[in-house]
Amino acid sequence: METPPLDDKARKMRDLLSSFYSPHPSMSPNSPNTISKHTSSDDINSSSFQPDHYMNLMAHEMNLEGLLHKHVEMVTQIKNLDTDLQMLVYENYNKFICATDSIKRMKSNILGMEGNMEQLLDKIMFVQSRSDNVNTSLTESREHIEKLNKTCNLLRKIQFIYDLPDRLSKCIKAEAYADAVRFYTGAMPIFKAYGDSSFHDCKQASDEAISIVEEKLQEKLLSDSETTQVRAEAAILLKQLNHPVDNLKAKLLEKLENLLIDIQLIPEAVKTASSCSHEVAFHEFVEAIHAFQVIFPDSETQLVKLAQDLLNKNFLIVEEYVKTRICVEDLLAVLRVVWNDVLKMDEVLQESSLSDHSLEAAKVSVKLYVNTAFSYLMQDLSDSLLNVLKRDGVEDHSLKAALDASTKTLLQGGRNFLQDVRKILDDDLEILNKLRELISDWVQEGFQDFFKQLQLRFQLFSGRNDLAHIQNHSLVEGSQGDKAFPGLVLVLAQLYAFIDQTVIPQINKELAASFSGGVGGYEHGLHFVSRETSRKFRSASESFLHMYIKMRTQRISLLLKKRFTTPNWVKHKEPREVHMFVDLFLQELKDMGNEVKEILPHGMQKHHRVDSNGSSNLSLSRSNSIPDEILSRSNTQKGRSQQLFETHLAKLFKQKVEIFTKVEYTQESVIMTMVKLCLKSLQEFVRLQTFNRSGYQQIQLDIQFLRTPLKEIVEDEATMDFLLDEVGK
Amino acid sequence: MQAVSSGIGYGLKYQARCISDVKADTDHTSFLAGTLSLKEENEVHLIRLSSSGTELFCEGLFSHPNEIWDLVSCPFDQRIFSTVYSNGESYGAAIWQIPELYGELNSPQLERITSLETKSGKIKSILWWPTGRHDKLISINDESLCLWSLDVSKKTAQVQSQDSAGMLHKLSGGAWDPHDVNSVAATCESSLQFWDVRTMKKTLSIECSHVRSADYHPRKNNILVTAEHESGIRIWDLRKPKVPIQELPGHTHWTWIVKFNPEYDGIILSAGTDSTVNLWSASINHGELTTESQPESPARLVDPLLNTYSDYEDSIYGLTWSSREPWIFASLSYDGRVVVESVKPFISKK
Repeated sequence: METPPLDDKARKMRDLLSSFYSPHPSMSPNSPNTISKHTSSDDINSSSFQPDHYMNLMAHEMNLEGLLHKHVEMVTQIKNLDTDLQMLVYENYNKFICATDSIKRMKSNILGMEGNMEQLLDKIMFVQSRSDNVNTSLTESREHIEKLNKTCNLLRKIQFIYDLPDRLSKCIKAEAYADAVRFYTGAMPIFKAYGDSSFHDCKQASDEAISIVEEKLQEKLLSDSETTQVRAEAAILLKQLNHPVDNLKAKLLEKLENLLIDIQLIPEAVKTASSCSHEVAFHEFVEAIHAFQVIFPDSETQLVKLAQDLLNKNFLIVEEYVKTRICVEDLLAVLRVVWNDVLKMDEVLQESSLSDHSLEAAKVSVKLYVNTAFSYLMQDLSDSLLNVLKRDGVEDHSLKAALDASTKTLLQGGRNFLQDVRKILDDDLEILNKLRELISDWVQEGFQDFFKQLQLRFQLFSGRNDLAHIQNHSLVEGSQGDKAFPGLVLVLAQLYAFIDQTVIPQINKELAASFSGGVGGYEHGLHFVSRETSRKFRSASESFLHMYIKMRTQRISLLLKKRFTTPNWVKHKEPREVHMFVDLFLQELKDMGNEVKEILPHGMQKHHRVDSNGSSNLSLSRSNSIPDEILSRSNTQKGRSQQLFETHLAKLFKQKVEIFTKVEYTQESVIMTMVKLCLKSLQEFVRLQTFNRSGYQQIQLDIQFLRTPLKEIVEDEATMDFLLDEVGK
Repeated sequence: MQAVSSGIGYGLKYQARCISDVKADTDHTSFLAGTLSLKEENEVHLIRLSSSGTELFCEGLFSHPNEIWDLVSCPFDQRIFSTVYSNGESYGAAIWQIPELYGELNSPQLERITSLETKSGKIKSILWWPTGRHDKLISINDESLCLWSLDVSKKTAQVQSQDSAGMLHKLSGGAWDPHDVNSVAATCESSLQFWDVRTMKKTLSIECSHVRSADYHPRKNNILVTAEHESGIRIWDLRKPKVPIQELPGHTHWTWIVKFNPEYDGIILSAGTDSTVNLWSASINHGELTTESQPESPARLVDPLLNTYSDYEDSIYGLTWSSREPWIFASLSYDGRVVVESVKPFISKK
């Protein structure tokens, strides 16, 4: 108990005290908060302690040794408690004595204080009244002094103002304009207040002097010979004099703008050696801008604007220039000049984002270049194609030529364009470096668009087919255009096939080789999708081919229709000669054959006939009398039913003839298809009529006559024979 | 023979152009076909599809004096039909009655109810009043259109009214509007023309060339399909006759005949001189008059051609749906072969 430190001891003391004074012993921190019922009675520390019960419990539960032990424990506890209590009582008493002592001392001290305080108050009052007296006596003289002082100042100022003109003129003489301006601005408030009354003369004189100063300063400012430093100072002084500096600024700007006109870009001149004059002029301009910037430091925005104007103008000129179909070297040269200018200007005007600006502009012009290149390509192509329609009697615009020209244009144009673009890409101009990815994107996009447009254009063209017929009739002389139109369609079909087979793969290859860049393209779907495009062209080409065949066969169909619906077949006379429709028919076929041969390639198969120009034999004289065979055939009319039965049987054993097969891009296939279609039509027309014997003979004669020349045109004789036989039935 | 082909064939012996569904026969699926032989005795075959649907047999065989160019079965009496015939020099038309059969098949003579004699022009086709028992008939010859009143019991027919087609138009065929019995469409070389039967006056004309065949949509008003030589198949809405609402490519050679299915919407059958029958599915948005959006709609991108039946030897001129079993059609090629096919596998897909 003695060993724990003081702190511990004090705490213990406090605990004890608090437990002693606390109203509810159970609340004391030492006692347990919750007491179960059966322990409450045997817990010594609780208030509900029952000694009898406790004793009973002890006596019952414990053995003697335990009880003895408990007893000893209990005795020591009681002793401890006693000492604690004693200690507390001493402590309390001690403190009480101390308190009484200090109270006694306080009482004696307070008694002497009051008298002293009153004395202090009196003394302070006395000091205050004295100081007031002194103050009042001195006020008068102080005011006087102040007044004198003011007057003195005023006099000095007036003196200064009266001296001002002289001083100014002195300054002018000494060219110390800065001092003059300083003096004048100092006197300014007074002049403002009293200038009209008392200091009128003085003000006038100094104003005159100052106006001289201003003139001098302006001269200085505007003269190019002075150093920029001097000019800048002059500008500042003028500004201090409230001189309208803006005017001057405007004047200077005008000067700059005049300079601008000198340095306007002339793209045509860039090629020639005279570009150095541009360089000189531009150098001057840059110098001037620099000077201006020094003189008017706050005018940067105006200068930037000026520079941007110049840039815009230049790029506009470039764009115009691009539109006039330039070659890529020229474009590069012009761009280089412009970019050099930009770099120079950027040196002077750091904050102007001129390079960004010009980058944008360059983007536009390069894109324009790409687009115009494509549109020229398109124009060339359609020019060479539409030549076919414009053949004015002269045969030099033949279909073949048109096809050749257009394919050449397309292929050559595409290749040249790609080469040009590659040149742009290879160029090390900084501005173009930044655009590289964009350019390759544009190129891809451009090709995509180009082909799309190409397709649309001619599809529209063919869609107006019927309209075009009418227009051609009115615009081009009569049947000329009418005749040429199917040819054009055929050319288109072949051209499209060519695009599909040759141009697109080639372009694709080149694109892949040199324009693999372009990141953003895929997301926008702008890339050149070769597969899709080529599929489109293939189908378009097929439809053109079909259209051609249809248009051609329509004409023949019309011919046949006229032939078979007009005469009265029942009253037909004995056939004398081959009807002229056969000639017309063959003529049409010959035309078709010529067209097709001009345009379409040969098939893989070898021609049966030696003569490739079999059509020349078509103009056989028809003076030949009717072949005997036909006559003998027509005699077999009686056995018609027999014959019908036989042919039925024969048909059963013959392989079924596929009349309508797929058309291929070969002369033979196309001609064959057309002949087949025509013969089929012929057959149908024949079936729609009822003939008498003579009529029938006439038809047989015609057919027989057709047979020979057709054999020379057509490759697949079996099908043709079949069709002709069919007609004969 | 193609694997897809499920057709049931029947031979007519002679060349033939026309086949007609016997609408009035509600117990069987039957067709009437007429032959076109110049020299021989022509025949009219009454063909019936066996109840199992696997066999075609001849129910009746009747001789007909001339080449039959058109044959239509009467919509209310299965024993009556009309033909247009030609004896080589001139054309004529008649209404016939099939005699009572009593089980014998040896070419009994047909009973001629009456002839429809017109003074001028080659008669081209006969149209019956579209549905039900009615005594009206229309005959179309190449110069004019006649409305007849038929009395079967008295065996007479009288012209009620007629109108000339005009000098430049040669009529070739036509169709009677099933929705508006006062309207008849007639095809001619350069246009499709419409008559009002009550006044016998032309009401409307659609410009299109070489129309071979026309058919009204059996369920929807104002929808008409035409077959043309060059432009294939076109579907028209008569409320806006300027442009067709849909075009189908048609056939490689002429498209000869085109028919709407009587039951299934948008199912169209066409036959042509390229020896094929094509089954189409057209999307007809009835009542929706905005055509602008249509070309973009994805439905258009679906191939409208459902199937091509190519198991024929010659051009097909005759084609008809069965009205009793609307998934069955009969086609007749020039070599006299009747083929009955079912389109069920293609319709059930829809």
